Amino acid sequence: MSDPILSLTGVHINRGEVEVVHDVSLDVTPGAVTVVLGANGAGKTTLMDGIAGLAPVTKGTVSLGGQAIERLPTYKRALAGLGYVEQARTTFRTLTVEQNLLVAQAGKGDPATVFRLFPELDKRRGLQAGHLSGGEQQMLVVGRALVADPKVVLIDEMSLGLAPVVVQRLMRAVVDLVGLGIAVLLIEQFAHLALDVGANAYVLRKGRVVFDGPCSQLRGDSALLHEAYFGQAPTESETR
Amino acid sequence: MLNSVVAGLTSGGVYALLGLCVVLTYRLVAVVNFTMAACGAVGAFVMVTLMDAGLTGWLALPVGAAAGAALSALLGSALVSWFSQHDERTKAAVTVAVYVAIIAIGLRLFGSNTTGAHRFPSPFDAPAFTVGSVVVPQAVLVSMGFAVLITVGVSLLLSKTLIGLRLQALSERPTTAQVVGIPAPRLAIGVWVAIGAISTLVIVLVAPRLGGDFATLGNLISTALAVAMIGAFRSLPLTLVGGLLMGCLEGAAGSVAEIQKYAGVVPFLVMLVLLWWRSRGEVWDTAHSR
Repeated sequence: MSDPILSLTGVHINRGEVEVVHDVSLDVTPGAVTVVLGANGAGKTTLMDGIAGLAPVTKGTVSLGGQAIERLPTYKRALAGLGYVEQARTTFRTLTVEQNLLVAQAGKGDPATVFRLFPELDKRRGLQAGHLSGGEQQMLVVGRALVADPKVVLIDEMSLGLAPVVVQRLMRAVVDLVGLGIAVLLIEQFAHLALDVGANAYVLRKGRVVFDGPCSQLRGDSALLHEAYFGQAPTESETR
Repeated sequence: MLNSVVAGLTSGGVYALLGLCVVLTYRLVAVVNFTMAACGAVGAFVMVTLMDAGLTGWLALPVGAAAGAALSALLGSALVSWFSQHDERTKAAVTVAVYVAIIAIGLRLFGSNTTGAHRFPSPFDAPAFTVGSVVVPQAVLVSMGFAVLITVGVSLLLSKTLIGLRLQALSERPTTAQVVGIPAPRLAIGVWVAIGAISTLVIVLVAPRLGGDFATLGNLISTALAVAMIGAFRSLPLTLVGGLLMGCLEGAAGSVAEIQKYAGVVPFLVMLVLLWWRSRGEVWDTAHSR
């Protein structure tokens, strides 16, 4: 197993004045999908925001390629190789598809790679992002992260509000990212989809890691997954 | 009447420029900047003070523009560092507080009308041409030309250059712009610097006509805000037209003896009318949810 490209050690993250993530340590390896699961309010998005610099890391270290980044401003983390696909399809709506990619382009990032990965976007190069469908907007946000030549891409609930067929299309794109040697840290509401593409999984409960192991361990064991999510085995009525 | 309207066009070009600065600050860094004219006035007074001390106008002007830019950048950095996560209302309130402070300090440093107004150079007073019996001074052409140049130049910058696209991205989604690696603080301060320098040039242009009083020049922000409202804080061409219209309105009001002394009320009337006009279709909930 290769060395992790992104490592969190004893990380605490605040949302406002309140500490939401407590003492989390995790590793993200290159060329693999690492999955973060957990119930609503478990602290998953705060964890991602903390890594990206949108929420303050109050204790612990976040290391990207061996460089401590927890004190860097958000844009410097991005330039260091951290891509972030935020929730809610955050395209620049007044810019065209091509301009959305252009403003984020860095290093060896190439819009041609994005258009190869998402031929749907190639046909809409000159269209304002606000006029794209929900699925296309999400593809554009993933593409925009890719064109910045990232080492790691954080993806937060990209399936939110999208049709199942579009979600499956996006999951295939995540696998393609991994094929390019990029490490992916994925939060996903559809746990089974995430576990299908993931190598390692972490489950968060109330801001703490309560499970850390291979995805294969959770994939076929819904009782274990339920217990990790909620801290107790499913009742008889829940298993029915 | 026609003479007054043409005279109003001189101010109109300047009002358009001030309105454009307000719209640009709002569009690019999401701040309604009440200090803009005051920063420009500081720059203009630094220039004229240096000229009084013996420096030539061409040397004093860049120094004054740099002073206006530096003051504007100082406010910009404070907003970027301490208020970037606050809403627009808070940021606007901060600029109001700073505006009051700049006016108070400026009056003490540079004096008021009664304690010694400065004499600004007026290189564009000569007539450019005559239409019928109306003499059009060079100042009309210079201010209108400058306003058109800024409108076209900024529109091209925003749509045709990478830095312009990044500024648009920053104005639309400041957080996401940083997430994709756009150096938001640096760009934002760049905008503040440019606005400070342009404001200084605009104030230098209008000062000979309005008199060398610091408070009068700093208070031009009320006109600038009215002009920005005509452009809905968004459209550069509409703001340009709004500025010219405002100048003509003021000129026309100045030519009627009965309402001459109330000409200064024109910007506020325009604001009231626009507020009423734009909210006339709103239902109760929308109108009261602000």
